[in-house]
Amino acid sequence: MLYIELAWRNLFRNTRRTLLTCLLISTGLAVLIFADGAIRGMEKLMIGSVTKTLQGEAQINRLGFRDNFDVDLYIENPTTILGKLTEDERLSAYSLRVLSGGMIGSAYNSAGGVIYGINPEQEKEVSRIRDAISEGNYLSGKSRELLIGTTLADLLEVKLGDRIVLTAANVDTNELTQDLFRISGIFEFGAREFDEGFVFVNLSAAQKLLGMEGGIHQIVLQFKDPKTSRDNLSLSYQDLEDKEIEITGWLGLQPSIGAMLEYTNLGTAIIGGILFILISLGVINSLFMSIYERIYEFGVIRAIGTSRFEIISLVLVEAFFLGLLSAFLGLIVGLLFSYYYSINGLPLGEMEVSGIMLGNGNLYTELAPYQVIFLPLYVILLTLITAIYPAFFASRIVPTRALQRAL
Amino acid sequence: MKVIETSNLSKHFGLGETRVSAVKNVSFEIEEGEFTAIIGPSGSGKTTLLHLIGGLDSPDEGDITLSGEKIAHMKGNQLSDFRRDHIGFIFQAYNLIPVLSAAENIEYIMMLQGIKKPERRRKVEEILETVGLTGLGDRRPAMLSGGQQQRVAVARAMVSKPDIILADEPTANLDSKTGMKLLEVMKELNREFKLTFVFSTHDEKIMNMATRLIHLRDGSIERDEQK
Repeated sequence: MLYIELAWRNLFRNTRRTLLTCLLISTGLAVLIFADGAIRGMEKLMIGSVTKTLQGEAQINRLGFRDNFDVDLYIENPTTILGKLTEDERLSAYSLRVLSGGMIGSAYNSAGGVIYGINPEQEKEVSRIRDAISEGNYLSGKSRELLIGTTLADLLEVKLGDRIVLTAANVDTNELTQDLFRISGIFEFGAREFDEGFVFVNLSAAQKLLGMEGGIHQIVLQFKDPKTSRDNLSLSYQDLEDKEIEITGWLGLQPSIGAMLEYTNLGTAIIGGILFILISLGVINSLFMSIYERIYEFGVIRAIGTSRFEIISLVLVEAFFLGLLSAFLGLIVGLLFSYYYSINGLPLGEMEVSGIMLGNGNLYTELAPYQVIFLPLYVILLTLITAIYPAFFASRIVPTRALQRAL
Repeated sequence: MKVIETSNLSKHFGLGETRVSAVKNVSFEIEEGEFTAIIGPSGSGKTTLLHLIGGLDSPDEGDITLSGEKIAHMKGNQLSDFRRDHIGFIFQAYNLIPVLSAAENIEYIMMLQGIKKPERRRKVEEILETVGLTGLGDRRPAMLSGGQQQRVAVARAMVSKPDIILADEPTANLDSKTGMKLLEVMKELNREFKLTFVFSTHDEKIMNMATRLIHLRDGSIERDEQK
């Protein structure tokens, strides 16, 4: 106990120096907690924006469909797959889709685009289509309803209730087929690609248009735990897969996001590395100054019988207290900042990833238990590791030389 | 009973032309309960000899036997432990740990010896009374006078029940009156507990009080005088 008290009191021999070192280490930890929160927030924002907008967390498609969106590569009978999906407790929702390129025409103009056939009820759970409706209503299931993007509506000079003719190729005969729809809603995702190139109709209407009764092109999956879709899905759905079907998680669907996430992880590692250097230099400087100031005293306590191990322990306990104080201070400051921005958000401006607007333009930091437990422990451990060299230096002080130097 | 026995003790510093022999072929014996002063002019090798006897430095030649154990070739923890259990040190500049109270400074060495806290506290109270510092145990060194600090150093040196106490110019930083009082305390301890003291000093008061004077000149014993 006296030993611990001695180490604690030694820390406050030079209060200003200790506080400055504490400030350095705690600022480092606060920055680490905040940066980690911001990086995790950005990761969540990117994944959320990409997966929740339209793409989903994972997709089931016919093998090769995603390469060219060939309409004839469709799943003729999804019953077996749907049976498996219903049994999967990890899933929170799924939605069936038909999609095809086609001509979208009004009385005044026409444009090429992508026709999505969706199940309105299922789709609510896996995408933001319903939330993106800016005028009119979401699909109710009536056969001739159509949702159109704001930019495309302007181009075609149409408004709610106007007629739209969709022209596409029959999946089996490749013959052109047409059907008439009425605009029931206008959506605005904020992403150019979506707002000027996509229309949504009911699944059955799209199936009828393309001549694929009961068939689908895509099943979009949403999991209870979003991390599930990062895992190797093809393994977990192995019995579903055959040569005809592929299951792809969002990392596979958007490899660019995966690369960005790797960069964010690299960012955390770089910040951690810089902090390591800063903290190391601060701690080494502080401890060496403290040891040099007490060199005579170390000589005396060595002379009266303190072993090298006890000297090492004394310096390490001092470093531990320094790390503990700094970690406590840094934790409070870091958490306060991170908490504030987790509520109020950091303004990002209009930032897009893969053509998708990131959230509402704000980045919300993410608080996580490991930031409270592991990051402070990392800092304490770092302080201790850095203190090893000064501790060994102190233990090697030769009493006679120390006594002579001081005299 | 012999507490210290040195034979042909030599210690050199530097190499070649700059080589200096701080201690040369020094041999003497000190019996238990002696109050010995090693005296001589500056540079005569007093402090080096004291460091060699105390196991703070190792001789280049010769042997030292302390309480029956040869210490010249002891190293590392063995030597630290030996110093802790057999030798008490008093330095010129008091050298108390400034962040510990007087009582804690005395307690420190007992903590190194692994003595339990209640026992340590009891001994500290006893020894504070012995050196005339009753009631001052809670004070930090900065709140004590030079004489009081040196008394704490004496208490720290003797609390581990060493076989010998080595004191390097213990009165050098004290005024003559305080120095005299401190010497009286040490003499009393020498008489009452048969504690063996070896001083390195210029101080005439110590020389007058010592029962034996070892005169050093240029690292060698010039005269060994029993009083």
